[in-house]
Amino acid sequence: MSSHGFLLAAYVPGRSLIHRVPLWLKFLLVLGCGMASFLIADWAVSAAVLAMLCGLFLLSGAGPARLLRAVRPVLPVLLAIGAFQWWQLGAPTAARIVLNILVCVVAASILTATTSVQALLDGVASLARPFRRFGADPERFALTIAIMLRSIPFVAGAYMDVRDSARARGLERNPRALVLPVFISTVAFARQTGEALAARGLGEPEDPED
Amino acid sequence: MSSIVLDRVRVRVSVDGRPAPKTLLQELSLDLTERRVGVIGANGSGKSTLLRLLNGLVAPSDGTVRVDGADTVRSVREVRRRVGFVFTDPLSQLVMPTGREDVELSLRRSIRNGTERRARAESVLERFGLLPLADQSIYELSGGERQLLALAAVLAVDPAVLVLDEPSTLLDLRNRELLRRTLAGLRQQVVLSTHDLDLALDMDRVLVVEDGKVVFDGGPAAAVAHYRALSAAGLPAPGGGPAGGGGLDLRGGGLAGGGGLGGGGLERAVPEQARLEQS
Repeated sequence: MSSHGFLLAAYVPGRSLIHRVPLWLKFLLVLGCGMASFLIADWAVSAAVLAMLCGLFLLSGAGPARLLRAVRPVLPVLLAIGAFQWWQLGAPTAARIVLNILVCVVAASILTATTSVQALLDGVASLARPFRRFGADPERFALTIAIMLRSIPFVAGAYMDVRDSARARGLERNPRALVLPVFISTVAFARQTGEALAARGLGEPEDPED
Repeated sequence: MSSIVLDRVRVRVSVDGRPAPKTLLQELSLDLTERRVGVIGANGSGKSTLLRLLNGLVAPSDGTVRVDGADTVRSVREVRRRVGFVFTDPLSQLVMPTGREDVELSLRRSIRNGTERRARAESVLERFGLLPLADQSIYELSGGERQLLALAAVLAVDPAVLVLDEPSTLLDLRNRELLRRTLAGLRQQVVLSTHDLDLALDMDRVLVVEDGKVVFDGGPAAAVAHYRALSAAGLPAPGGGPAGGGGLDLRGGGLAGGGGLGGGGLERAVPEQARLEQS
């Protein structure tokens, strides 16, 4: 696989202030930014919030390269959205929408770059604990989130591999040659992951005594 | 040492478009009590199926598999606590982005306290010399480091039995040697399948699997010699057709000819193997 280590799963170990902020506060930041993206009506405010979040990201010591790696995969989509919105609603609205999406991406990246997957698992498991009385298994719920986080870079990496091999065969313009192999390798990855978890006894229902 | 008992086990699977199910493993009964057990055989011979039975990843169609008395179907959770499983490709097994997190994931069920879990994970990684690589992405590790990490993640929960499915296939010579030494130092009972005949020779007992059947069961040197003879018999002769006219010529370098055969290598030879000429 050509690239798996970017986007959400890229935890950068460290002891910065941002690393030490409680997990619930980081969750709140992501939630707040998600909600704010619907509420902010001025692109200048969006730009200011984005600048502040980028500052926080850099304060964590994760580095500008990691920030760029987190943002780069969404840039083509943002470009397309921005161009369409500009054409439909004008430049200020297009800028606001694009900046708001970037705010969400950077906020999520702060969370994942400064929180280890284990800490995230612990956090999600404690959040899910009240639902235990309804039959939910917090550990399985947390594991699902962790596997989802791990799968995003895998699928992106699979796409890059398939794109490269399609290019090598002169098939880069054939959508079937791109989509089908990614789909198949993703399904195979899901099966392998499931088997690996089963072999390690992970993801099974909790013991009654737990 | 643990006791692994396969009693009249058979594995069959339904295949679309076929009227009858396909047999992956023909009926076999085994009692594996040795410290090191190897399984060798050609690709698609049924080695992996046999190994997967031991961890409950494959359920027998007939018969039972028991590990220290625990049935792999009825008590699968208990079996998986006793039997660790290492896959050929460590990337299919490592589910977390870094080694530290993957080992910690293994320990989540047994150690609830995060600090304690982290400390335990570090001591496991240190034992395998992987602590300096603990926070590196698993994709940045070499094949050997990944295989060691997969091993560390499985051994973190201290299983009684370690099952490894072709653990050295993707490794270079140096990493194979490292793996051999690591396995030799483990206190666990080890059952592994391999194409690496040097690794097979390290075992106490080796099974040769062919077409879903255990065709030889004995000492490592005899088993390797048998496998070599079996493989040579299946190769097309220079003039076409299988060597030896479709049968097994065991004279030169085979079972009878020696080729490094230790005495007593055939002590548990399976009766069916005597009829190999017929197949």
